[in-house]
Order: sequence, then C-alpha cells, then structure tokens
Amino acid sequence: MDLFEPTRQAFHLLLTGDPELWFIIWLSLWVSVLAIVLMTPPSVAFGFALAKREFPGRRAVVVLLQALLSFPTVVIGLVLYLLLSRRGPFGAFELLFTPWAIMVGYMVIALPILVVFTVSAVQGADPRLYETARSLGARRLRAALTTLWEVRFAVMAGIVNAFGRVVSEVGCALLVGGNIAGLTRNMPTAIALETSKGAFVEGIALGAVLVAIAIGVNVALAWLQGRGGLE
Amino acid sequence: MSTPLFSVEGLAKHFGDRVLFDGARIALESGSGYVLIGANGTGKTTLLRIIAGLEPAGTGQLAFRSQASPVAEYPETWRHEIVYVHQQPYLFHTTIEKNLEYGLARRGVPRDARRARVRDALAWAGLTDRREVPPHKLSGGEQQRAALARANVLDPTLLLLDEPTANLDGDARRQVLELVTALCIENHTVVVASHDPEIIRLAILNRLHVSGRRIEAGE
Repeated sequence: MDLFEPTRQAFHLLLTGDPELWFIIWLSLWVSVLAIVLMTPPSVAFGFALAKREFPGRRAVVVLLQALLSFPTVVIGLVLYLLLSRRGPFGAFELLFTPWAIMVGYMVIALPILVVFTVSAVQGADPRLYETARSLGARRLRAALTTLWEVRFAVMAGIVNAFGRVVSEVGCALLVGGNIAGLTRNMPTAIALETSKGAFVEGIALGAVLVAIAIGVNVALAWLQGRGGLE
Repeated sequence: MSTPLFSVEGLAKHFGDRVLFDGARIALESGSGYVLIGANGTGKTTLLRIIAGLEPAGTGQLAFRSQASPVAEYPETWRHEIVYVHQQPYLFHTTIEKNLEYGLARRGVPRDARRARVRDALAWAGLTDRREVPPHKLSGGEQQRAALARANVLDPTLLLLDEPTANLDGDARRQVLELVTALCIENHTVVVASHDPEIIRLAILNRLHVSGRRIEAGE
C-alpha cells in the first residue's frame, strides 16, 4: 500500500483548513482541555491530602486509584452510558451523545492519573519542605501550596499524562458521545471510523495532529523544567 | 520569680513502646540562651520540634507568653514568633533572597520593608553577593547561613536551632558558629541542640541535659 500519497493528501487537507477536519480537532481539544482544567484542582488537592493525612484505609484508597490507572476506558464509558441514558439516574440532564458527556468521561479517566501523580510527587518531596514552610509561619493551606509549587514539575507531568490519555481516548468517547458528525465526533473516534471505511487520508491527518499535540505538550513540559533549573 | 517565656509541663512522647520525656518539664526565660546536651536518640531534636509545633502527637502542656495549650493543639499564632531551623535546612528552589522573603510575606510585611530587611539579613550572614543564587549552587556552610538568615530576618521571639554546625568543618563551621553566637547575644531567646564543644562551652548558654526521660539544668 502506498503511504506517501495519502500522507500528502492528509497534510493538504490540514493546511487548506478543511472545516470538518478542523471542527473535529477543535472539539477534541476543548473537551480534553476543559476536562483537565476542571479536574486538576480537586484531584491535586485530594492527592495532597492523601499523601499527607493519616487515616484508616488510606493505603487501600491509593491501591484502588492505582488500579483505576489501568481500568479499561470503554468500561468507564459503559457505566457512564448507563448513568446518563434516559432511564438512568442522571438521564434528566440529557447529556448522553453531547460533548459534555465525553467531557464527564474524560474527567473520570483523568482523576486517578492526576491523584496518583500528585500523591507520588508529594510523598517523594523532602519532608522538611512542608515543615519549613509551617515553621516560617505559613498556615496549612499556604504550606500545602508551597509544597505543591516545589514539586510542580512532577504534578505537571501528571497533568500532561492525563491530557495525553484523554485526548487520544476512543472507547468512552464513542459510547457516550455516539461519534455524531459535527457534534461529538472527535479525533480518536474519527480516526477509528475513517480507517474502518478505508478513508486513510482523514485518519492520517488526525493522527498527525494527535502526534503533534503529544510531542508539543511534552516539549513544553521539558522546556518549563529546564527553566526551573531541573534539567 | 518571673513567668517564663515558654514552658513545657508533663511532657511525654510515645514512639511505639518507648516513651520520651516521661512527664518532663522545662522553662525558658526571655532573652536567655540554652544549649541542649545529650547523646544521640535522647530527644533533643524531638524537644525542639515539640516547641516548634512540628510534633503534634504528644501529651503535655505548653505555655508561651502565659498562653497555655496542649501539645496536640499548638496555636497557629505562635508560629509567627517561634522559628525552628533543621539540622540540614531545607531551602526552597528559588533564589536565596526569595527564601528570606517567604516568612516576612507570611507575616504581611509590605514588599519594600521586606526587601530592606532581607538586604540587612543577607549582609548579616555574609551572603549579599549570593542573593540571587539558587540553593543547590551554595556550599553546605552557605546553606546553613542562609537558613539562619531566613530565621533571623523574622526577628523571632524564640529561635530553635538543631545542630547548626553538624556536617561542617573549617571556615564554614567557624562562620556558622559566629552567627549562632551573634544570635545568642542579640537578645533573642535561643535554644540550640548541639554536640559541638564550642557551642556547649559558650558561656552565654544555659545547659540543659536531655537524657531520654528527663531534662535537667546543670553544668
């Protein structure tokens, strides 16, 4: 099979600003970014509390969250589908087959990644860090923020990882979004559909964008780490 | 007899089956200096950490400026007047200048006043030319001096120093020793935990022997 010609056409499609293609890219990006933006503050706060607070069952919660890291996203989609379907407990919100349903699914997928990375970052930090902030007069919240700032690159690695996971996720988006053209069709579901139809040009174009996003986000993180003097 | 600046009564701290300070008591007078002496593991660091509010899991009664509080309910307001410096201090991953500003900002000191006080503290510690250097580029002695300056800039009522000259030798140790001596003379109430014979010999410091269960004053 000739790969060169479909690839050339794919880049032509991207560079000529094909509206359908760019809507798919735009939808993928805003849904993924919004899910991460909304999920990061509570997840990081929860992760910090989990790392710092002693309570019965803490270890079990961490193990459960670690297990959720490898939980099949299609099952998350299935559970969400049942919850959001017309007869489900949240059916009245009429979210199923909308971008908002995909966003909720992405938030669920991102949660354990953000929490586990934060727990790992905070537990890996020097214990004198939090104590120093407290001893210099910082209240608990300020000392927590100081700690998170000091381990920010590890937390940011979690954010990048979570973004990478959701922006390329297929199963959940397909189930709760329905892959509706012009409404819920995003990059991964479009690639799956176009490839199954034998339309490789669109698939290659969207795949190239996904790869560019993955590389771009990681390069940005590495650049920030470099500016932080941690290279 | 005047009311002590800080006192501890009925102190006990459990580490599994082991108990430190079985009902021990101490009283720290305002403007005085103290050196905690004792073998490793007898509780010098733990005592400093309890006074600093960093060891909440303990029993006993603390009192600061006549305000009493159980060990487990250390008042937040005391943290603005009592400052603890670790044996190996942690410096935030920013410039030394910003490290010194941190505690002042927590106390609501305006930016201009903060800068002036930081400038003075850096000069006091001999770190003026190192003010924009990140901590990992400082030597061990410079890091300890930066931590002492960061504590001193806050003008604490009670300053707690844990083995400030440990792991240092030569000029670095001598410079830190000079700063510790200056802090003791400058009308602070200072408690130093130390094995360093030169610190123990400082005439301005009252000796407190820490022996696991008891804390006793004496030569």
